[in-house]
Amino acid sequence: MATIDGSSVKKLIVACDAGMGSSVMLASTLKKQLAKSGVTVEHSPVANIPSDADVVVTQSGLADRARHAAPGVPVVPFQLFMGDPQITKLVKAIQNGETVEL
Amino acid sequence: MSDFTPVAAGTGIRARVQRGGAFLAGMIMPNLGAFIAWGLITALFIPNGWINEIARATGSIGADETVGFADQALTLVGPMIVWLLPILIGYTGGRMVHGNRGAVVGAVATIGVIVSPLALQLGATPPASVAELGPQFLGALIIGPVTALLLKLIDRAIDGRLKAGFEMLIDNFTAGITGGVMALVGVFLLGPVVFWIADIFGVFVKGLVSANLLPLVSVVIEPAKVLFLNNALNHGVLTPIGADQAAEAGKSIMFMLESNPGPGLGILTAMLLFGPRAIRPTVPAAMVVHFLGGIHEIYFPYVLMKPILIIAAIAGGASGVLWFSIFNLGLVAPASPGSIFAWIVVSPPSDLLLNMVGILLAAAVAAIVGSVLLGFGRNEASSLDLDEAKAQSAGNKYKKPAQADA
Repeated sequence: MATIDGSSVKKLIVACDAGMGSSVMLASTLKKQLAKSGVTVEHSPVANIPSDADVVVTQSGLADRARHAAPGVPVVPFQLFMGDPQITKLVKAIQNGETVEL
Repeated sequence: MSDFTPVAAGTGIRARVQRGGAFLAGMIMPNLGAFIAWGLITALFIPNGWINEIARATGSIGADETVGFADQALTLVGPMIVWLLPILIGYTGGRMVHGNRGAVVGAVATIGVIVSPLALQLGATPPASVAELGPQFLGALIIGPVTALLLKLIDRAIDGRLKAGFEMLIDNFTAGITGGVMALVGVFLLGPVVFWIADIFGVFVKGLVSANLLPLVSVVIEPAKVLFLNNALNHGVLTPIGADQAAEAGKSIMFMLESNPGPGLGILTAMLLFGPRAIRPTVPAAMVVHFLGGIHEIYFPYVLMKPILIIAAIAGGASGVLWFSIFNLGLVAPASPGSIFAWIVVSPPSDLLLNMVGILLAAAVAAIVGSVLLGFGRNEASSLDLDEAKAQSAGNKYKKPAQADA
């Protein structure tokens, strides 16, 4: 579980194994959804998560590696690349500046 | 972990294998554009490539002739696969370990492994000149990062001990000497070792192919894929072997083993028809991303949700591989991402139709086996457990955005 304060998220990283495929897809979706909230959405390989990330979103199969690669950065694992409730909650929290447990 | 996410057992080992594989794949994947450039040039200009086949079909050249400019363009093929691709891999491997300095010495050292068979006259028919050399991917994958690591240690050892004004002199010469020495190590030490390993491996793979046992690899590949080891396996292991084979034979079945979008399409089809009702609306968009966009990751969660479906993936994958190996089919370059479009582009003209049939066969087998495993949706309502119930509400809530995104 990670507690995320939506209002303090300024940089969201979507991580996947290579940082070339699925993360790019999800990042472009989130970029659209979070454009108005002033959040930078970037994608990266899970081994190379930028240390200034405020929150990392990654598939649950890669969550262990994400935590290892970016200690101290909250990791939000999700299961489905499209329509995952975890991501919906996170996006909502950021848009409304709320705090969520994910 | 949220309660939506089932905790997979053994994530520690899995994470470690993923990391190791990701390191290998990380040397290949940034260079896939170069692989594809080489593959396209090969597919267009080889004697049985698109240009010559089209010219023959229109009657502008005879059956045994080739188009002049195709032969000229073909000159690119050898140097690209023998030199450019392994050097890029050594370079990238070096950069991953020690930045730009590591990249440079990694590239230098890679040359040593490449020329080793000529320098030492290795093999049953040793190369007579530079033009007869073959690619050395395994050697590049090893010596690039190792050389960079060596330079990193040297840099660390002398860091802070230099007199002001001597930094550039020392930096240039530590890199130059490290690169040069490791190029020699490549020629005399690593070159023979990887040549020998590649030889054994090549014989092993050929044996598997000629005994029609290659479909068995699907038993490993399909489960590994859904554990997100897809890139590690495909680009860390199969792409280098495939490129070696393609340099020799013009195409390779190795490029087809992991990248076939058929099994995933079959799984998604079974899910669409007989999966948990709540999940079904998310499937069409996933099909588009998977089959047309080539992002296979999109179907892995569906298998993890219903792990029994892995049997369908294996059955589909193995049927495809059996088909490809019976008809001696191949791709000229890695199909990356594993999209139907990438497959069309890197299929040799003679194999295109049968390759497409192989994808459809794999999809059909996976869909049928998957539907059987899902009980044709019979037990669906009663077997709805907590995870699915959660997913149900998610599916309903997110139905519209998911479709809009596609």
